[in-house]
Amino acid sequence: MNTTAQTGRKFNYFFGLINLLAVFCIVWLLWYVFMNPNTVMKLYTPMYGFSLVVGFLAAIVLLNNVAGGYPFPESSTQRFGPVQRGIAMTAVAVLLMLLLVYIFFWGFIGKFGIAYFSPQSIIASGGQGAEIFNARENASTAIVYYFTAFLLTALFWSTGFGRWPWQNDDRGVTAWSRFFAVTFFSNIIYILLFHPHVCYLFYPAQDKAGVESWWADLAGTGSAFFGLGLVLCMLFWIVASDLLWEAYPWKYLEKDGESTWAKGLVVLVVTFVLGVLVLFVLMQIMNYFWDEPFMGGQYTDGPDFRFIHAGEICGFFILAAFILKNYFNNFPNIPIRWLRAVIRTVLAIGGGMLFYWFYYSPLATFFLAKVPGIAQPGDTSLVWTILFLSVIMVQADFFEGWPLRNK
Amino acid sequence: MKRRTFLKSLAATGVATSLTGTGALTREAQARKKIDFGEVKSVRVDVLSETSWFDNDNLKKHMLDYGGAMTNQYDIPWDWDNAGGYMALITVTTLEGKERKILLDSGWNNDWVDYIYEMNNIPAMLKSGEIEFMVISHWHLDHYWGIESTLKHKPDITIYAPKTYYPEDMALLKGAHLTAKNKEGKDVHVCKNDVPHAGKLILCDPDGDKDGIYNPMPGVALRNFDVPILLRVRGENVFYFNVKDKGIVTVTGCCHPGILSLFSYARKNFEGYKPYGCYGGLHITLFETWDPKFDDIIKGVKAFKIQKLACNHCTGWIWAEKAAAAGVPVVKGTDKFKSYKRQSTVATASNAFLTNGDHVVF
Repeated sequence: MNTTAQTGRKFNYFFGLINLLAVFCIVWLLWYVFMNPNTVMKLYTPMYGFSLVVGFLAAIVLLNNVAGGYPFPESSTQRFGPVQRGIAMTAVAVLLMLLLVYIFFWGFIGKFGIAYFSPQSIIASGGQGAEIFNARENASTAIVYYFTAFLLTALFWSTGFGRWPWQNDDRGVTAWSRFFAVTFFSNIIYILLFHPHVCYLFYPAQDKAGVESWWADLAGTGSAFFGLGLVLCMLFWIVASDLLWEAYPWKYLEKDGESTWAKGLVVLVVTFVLGVLVLFVLMQIMNYFWDEPFMGGQYTDGPDFRFIHAGEICGFFILAAFILKNYFNNFPNIPIRWLRAVIRTVLAIGGGMLFYWFYYSPLATFFLAKVPGIAQPGDTSLVWTILFLSVIMVQADFFEGWPLRNK
Repeated sequence: MKRRTFLKSLAATGVATSLTGTGALTREAQARKKIDFGEVKSVRVDVLSETSWFDNDNLKKHMLDYGGAMTNQYDIPWDWDNAGGYMALITVTTLEGKERKILLDSGWNNDWVDYIYEMNNIPAMLKSGEIEFMVISHWHLDHYWGIESTLKHKPDITIYAPKTYYPEDMALLKGAHLTAKNKEGKDVHVCKNDVPHAGKLILCDPDGDKDGIYNPMPGVALRNFDVPILLRVRGENVFYFNVKDKGIVTVTGCCHPGILSLFSYARKNFEGYKPYGCYGGLHITLFETWDPKFDDIIKGVKAFKIQKLACNHCTGWIWAEKAAAAGVPVVKGTDKFKSYKRQSTVATASNAFLTNGDHVVF
């Protein structure tokens, strides 16, 4: 995420709007080719397509936030302009996604370690439901959850710890060190929040490999949507504070312009608490509209749906925050820092609700071939949201905002 | 820590809970006046066929090859030999002791539906008007595409169907031959109807005739739940029966809205609500796979105190077996289905399903 304020020259909001419309059309085209269940690739099965899209976002974040652009130049140069840099980094991100999903998870980890990461290994193990459709959906579910843990850790680390404790090392050392730290903590989060769910996707349950969901009594569901919702609510605050609040108030804990362990710890605790609070607020709002959920309820009555829906709503907020930052120059840029942070946050929430309205309106039936209605099992707005976010991040970070920032 | 305690402790933080403004949401949780839709003496459900397809893997392979669970069902060249169908005959005994019959759904493969109908004397019941009307629970292939097998015996039968139809659904009802393209680009027959419906068609929506329900006879309520469903289908009609001295019984095709959501609706809306029983597909482990939320449903069914749970079809054998083992009062079936010309490949010896040829009385 690029937090540099673009206040050097007058921002053209009209071009920003045109750029946003262009990005929307690109996302639509990508959805039409790859995801639309009635057109070409039909990858939205849904989990298979979900795993690829979230894999792409993870690859972008890996290159940009974890590796800090390494081994590419930190920014464009005369010989390596934003377009060349953008194309090269996008190609690498696509390759990374393919490598991670098909080689790393399906062909390596799933083949030689944890069987549920590979459809082929699930089928080879035999037993109930071990055929290609179910096997691919289950393996994809596990991959989605792993990338979710990775995204949380990577984006938190980027905002909280920044380059600490490798700020005095070169880019390569920092990139590799951050990579190992982030993947280590991603593994822990995955094991705690998601692995128990995946172990119980099979019959009989793989109860020697994973415990029964420890959160079932707390959340009213054994589904890992509990953890997914919580992670996304937390991510909203990480993104909001980084993009919309210009990394304040965390910056007060920096030393010589670099992050400290104290800053990381405070970001972790505060964004977790705020994440829990926003999850609670969203759950209360849903209770108002749909009554209290109950264990075993389906569609809007299911606690599992309520948790993922809270995450989906935060996904819309995150998307709106990125749009505000990248296409509307983080409007408004008034002098009072705390006030502009508050206004931007309100705008991001309002924009997120607009996306909410869009996704559940007949427009989504037209653009995304979605069946009208809410809470369809398997359907999640996160796939479209993440695809949209990925395209925005590619433009903002790989292409350095080209062509908008050149206007 | 239990969930409620957890939430209450959070509430103590004083978080504002009024971030409304979600215009896309509708206020469904408002208090409504309770409905009294009458009573029946008893309800009997005869399982005509619950085997919508015979081989799960074959069905899933077709879904996989043609785009997954979100694909339009009319775009998949299904394997006709794997198709069966879901149909049930409901016999209501009124408080006066009169028997009245309703047909629920019309199956998929016409050969299979004709075979089942002949075994159960359905053609004669349709022709004589003994079956008073039929309900299409939803527009899924295995509940609806065999409509010709019903209409050829009674073209003017009254039909209740979800209002949320797609053009292909209505074309089939009015008479059509529909095809889908296979991988080689060839048109493959998927369904047909040469007998256009000539009777009354009541398109159901959540508003109902009155108070959100249709009330075709005393003690019988039909409720439409407008929910999105896999294979580009939307909305399901569900039966509620108020059985005297026993309580509420639900009868469903697939129960996509969720069995506990159905009972939750009854609890909120029906006068003198008492949970009693259910029959039908419950749409849980339809492909005989598992998910932690299916354990939630077992716990939930016990909490809702459903006393007689008769299930089959998309419930999934493994859910029914696991629920029975956990103490849910699952009504056991018999071995009658083994005498039919075809059986599901996932049927087990546990009799956890009420399957073809069985019946249940509530």
